Amino acid sequence: MADIVLYRPHFVAFIILFLLGIYIMVVSLNLVKKLIGMYLMQTSIILFFITLAVKKDSTIPIILSSATAVTPEAYANPLPHVLMLTAIVVGVSTLGVSLAMVIALYRQYNTLEEDQILGKMK
Amino acid sequence: MTSSLPGFLFAIPFFAAVVIPVVGFTNQKFCRPIALGTLVSLSIVSVMGLSEVVSHGPLSHEFGGWAPPIGIEWVVDGLSGLLMVAISIVSLISLVHAGPLVEKELPGRVIPFYSLSLLLVAALGGMVLTGDLFNLFVFLEIGSLASYVLVGVAGGRSLHSAFCYLILGTIGASLYLLGVGYFYAETGTLNMADLAQRLPEVIDSRAVLTGLLFIVLGLAIKMGLFPLHGWLPDAYTYAPNSCTPLLASVVTKVPLYAFVRIAFWVFGMTTVSTQIPILVVLGWVGAVAAIAGAYLAIWQESFKRMLAYSSVSSMGLFMLAFSLGTETGFAGGLFYVLADTLMKATLFGVAGAAFYQCGASTVTDLVRLRQNMPWVSAALLISALSMVGIPPTAGFFGKWHLVVGALEAEKYFAVAAILVSSMLTALYFFRMFQRVWAEPLPLVEAHVLETPFPIKMSLGVLTFGLIALGLGSDLVMGLIFESAIPKGF
Repeated sequence: MADIVLYRPHFVAFIILFLLGIYIMVVSLNLVKKLIGMYLMQTSIILFFITLAVKKDSTIPIILSSATAVTPEAYANPLPHVLMLTAIVVGVSTLGVSLAMVIALYRQYNTLEEDQILGKMK
Repeated sequence: MTSSLPGFLFAIPFFAAVVIPVVGFTNQKFCRPIALGTLVSLSIVSVMGLSEVVSHGPLSHEFGGWAPPIGIEWVVDGLSGLLMVAISIVSLISLVHAGPLVEKELPGRVIPFYSLSLLLVAALGGMVLTGDLFNLFVFLEIGSLASYVLVGVAGGRSLHSAFCYLILGTIGASLYLLGVGYFYAETGTLNMADLAQRLPEVIDSRAVLTGLLFIVLGLAIKMGLFPLHGWLPDAYTYAPNSCTPLLASVVTKVPLYAFVRIAFWVFGMTTVSTQIPILVVLGWVGAVAAIAGAYLAIWQESFKRMLAYSSVSSMGLFMLAFSLGTETGFAGGLFYVLADTLMKATLFGVAGAAFYQCGASTVTDLVRLRQNMPWVSAALLISALSMVGIPPTAGFFGKWHLVVGALEAEKYFAVAAILVSSMLTALYFFRMFQRVWAEPLPLVEAHVLETPFPIKMSLGVLTFGLIALGLGSDLVMGLIFESAIPKGF
């Protein structure tokens, strides 16, 4: 267990952020706070993927000169970055749609608290 | 043409989804013809694709000229071709049916309705066709976003159920993405075919096991598998009647497809039944879901909520069928998926028609169907008989193959679960029949409108399809056995 904390601190950070996100989503009654939790959870997954790409003593994956032979070990893995670029777009569009829904709910029920909305629906 | 056919299957509805708001901005009347024309051409192309697959084997298309596993590969094989045909045809019929309802329920939101429906169809197509796990995630989210908005497009109560659906759906998609990350970290590939070759070496690693669990959990939320079905009843009950036939018939089936693809094609039958015995667990979950969904459906007053619980029950039956581990069980499960797509489209179509004509929404209100709606009543009768499993409808043959498959596998609890859930299904549908045909009409005569032609026609076609699929079940089962069975049985 101590090994994981010492040598893989990014995994620990990811797990804490992920669980915190889910906790906020479940516990808070305010719809916007729920969305904050949701976005935190999505961002923690982005952190997880990005840390997969890291290598020791590596640089950004741009080949500067074509003269020397390319050694894959010298560059960070670009694929997780590209995947997460797409995942960020997906996350932002989800957030956009959900905020639009929150605005529509607020216009209708004049509150953002879920218990009050449920009370008014009855 | 044929090599880029998988791309066309996505591009046709996606292009139309973009064109509709632009054209509809000048004149709303163009939206419907464009949407229907698009789906007709999509149906033709997908049938062409399936016949090509049956005669010449799977088609694959590489995007941007990069060969897989580096590039993204799209594949039409027996399974995806069959699902694509089902999706395109059922969505076409659902949109034909939706025409009069959209004008009544969603005035001023005609453009978003048609545009989002086509976006949904495009995303479902993308999910079915893609051979790449991350690509699947992107389409899963595009399709889910379109369906969240379709659920909430009418405003009112549906907004809250759409919000709950969004929150749970996002958790599901995040878990799926996390699972994909574990696979990538362990194997270094995202291409399904490549992953299938690399997985056996690392099958004992905990990362693969955890990744698979995350993926199954995420997809189970998306497909509404009991006990993770929390979003489903509210979403189906309060969603506009014009959207529910499309939503209820295909949206949950495609995450199920993704599960089947990953479990049987990427991992393989022997792995998921012995090394990582996830099928054993899912078999029990499916059995409980099939019975619990049907039991909960009995107590629902709202007709659409009853059908929603019936969907939960069907999802349990599919899971049960795929976990049997026999060829007949798998093929029967696939056949029942196709049958259920038609049944749910018909039943939710009937709910829409009943709402359109006399504002009926509860099971008790359905008594008014008797007055002036012989077409709708006939569609209700036949689709309900098919749900229960009375020959010669498609539901009977689906359940028949399930039972035969379960007997072959000697899993008697599965046989019992299928029979008990069928009996409970019979119970709630016969209760409904009693209300519709046996009870006296209410004294206050409701104002009943004439059934509009598009609703009549689409319900007629769906009902005919149910009987045709039942009578032609040998043909369809032959097709499934020939081209849509994974290796390893």
